[in-house]
Amino acid sequence: MLIALLAFFTEILPIVFYLIFLKRNRGEGLWVIFLYCILSVLTEILAGILRLPIIVDFYNIVQFTLFSLFFYFSLKDKRFKYIPIIGAVIFYVIAIRNFSNTGFDSFSLSLASIFFIPYCILLLYEQMRDSNIMIVYTDKKFWIIVAFFLYFSGTLFLYIYINTLPKDQQSNYWSINNFFEILKNILFCIAFIMKKRDKSEYSIDNLNPDI
Amino acid sequence: MILLEVTNTGNVSTVLFFGTIGMLALTIGLIVFIIFHQRKVIRYQLKLQRMEQDQQKLLLNASIRLQEEERQRIAADLHDDAGPLLATARLYLNENLVNLDKTTQLQSIYNAKQIIDDTIQLIRNISHSLMPPTLKNFGLESAVNDLFQKISGSGSMNASSRFHDYRERLQAENELIIFRVIQELVNNILKHSNASFVHLTQNTSGSKFFIRLHHDGRGITQTDFNKLNKSNVGLGLKNIQSRLKVLHGKIFFEKDMSQTYYKVTIELVKEEEGKLAEQD
Repeated sequence: MLIALLAFFTEILPIVFYLIFLKRNRGEGLWVIFLYCILSVLTEILAGILRLPIIVDFYNIVQFTLFSLFFYFSLKDKRFKYIPIIGAVIFYVIAIRNFSNTGFDSFSLSLASIFFIPYCILLLYEQMRDSNIMIVYTDKKFWIIVAFFLYFSGTLFLYIYINTLPKDQQSNYWSINNFFEILKNILFCIAFIMKKRDKSEYSIDNLNPDI
Repeated sequence: MILLEVTNTGNVSTVLFFGTIGMLALTIGLIVFIIFHQRKVIRYQLKLQRMEQDQQKLLLNASIRLQEEERQRIAADLHDDAGPLLATARLYLNENLVNLDKTTQLQSIYNAKQIIDDTIQLIRNISHSLMPPTLKNFGLESAVNDLFQKISGSGSMNASSRFHDYRERLQAENELIIFRVIQELVNNILKHSNASFVHLTQNTSGSKFFIRLHHDGRGITQTDFNKLNKSNVGLGLKNIQSRLKVLHGKIFFEKDMSQTYYKVTIELVKEEEGKLAEQD
């Protein structure tokens, strides 16, 4: 119960920090993550009040859409831009087919995790190759990607097996999700608090003095 | 769907536990690997930049030293040659003031005139070696032909040049740089190679401008050139490299396939208007 409360509280923190440090976060493409955080909070509140599994299914679809958008806008290499589009099409077909009010849609959630993990690896790979980014962890997007990467890696097996567990044990195992939620939200906060990277200062090109 | 089938709760818990730990370990491992790999790449790039800076400093120092040597040479030429000549001319004219004998006076004036003519010629030679007027007025081809004719004329070696495709002149500054490079290379050949002939050819191939020097003496290969460039000696070669860098050109030193003569090739990129390419 405590960890669930803590998870809910940490979901509010990124929203607060984004608004406090709005100037630093403008123009970095993080508004998608801000929307995602607001959506998470609203879903938690609605799910707590209405207790309908359909809310979680709906949240899953919107979560996938928002992260796919973030992934699409963050990708610099045009050759990879088709990947989130194809992924989204496949996901929507399966999620809408499984969309129901009968229970937790474990399959769609697992599928979303399976899609997001390679997306994160691809984004990290692009960050590594980007010569404009001197040190990768000085970029805000790095922390966002790490947050999603850790969250979806940690909860993948939980989502796969949650429906096979007895009902009384599900809430115990759901603590894993809460733990990774907390971790994800802390990393979001780090991303939002960080100062904007001064592109001129850290560019590798500018380290080449012209004698 | 296979993954969603359950055998029993105990197995599920174990799989869930180890699966989560495994995924977490892999994720953290990957992130740490990315961070450390990038730091390694950055360190390597900084090292390359430091090496480039050191090389540039070396070239700059070489350039400054060469400039000073040139000034010393000019000063020595003026002091050792022009100075005494003019002093002697003054002596003759002074004698004229004292000696009232007309024949002796005429002889002194004539001698002074000869010496002044020689001095004028000397100063002209110094001036031409600094900035050949042929280059400015008639272009690179004429200046190089002129230079090679003088070398041939001196009898030190057989020097010839042939420009195959130089209808449009390059920019004056670029012609001067190329001329200096050729001058430096020819000086090196004269000083060090003991060659009996040197031949220069100019060609154009697409957007590239080539100058090739062949000689039959002792030459250097590209390995020797790179070694000398990195050391503190070989000022002339460093000067060549600095000048070619301005034009974004390349130079290759090699021995011919038949192993009978050495070849130096200068490659420059040419733009359509006849200017040499400027790169960012």
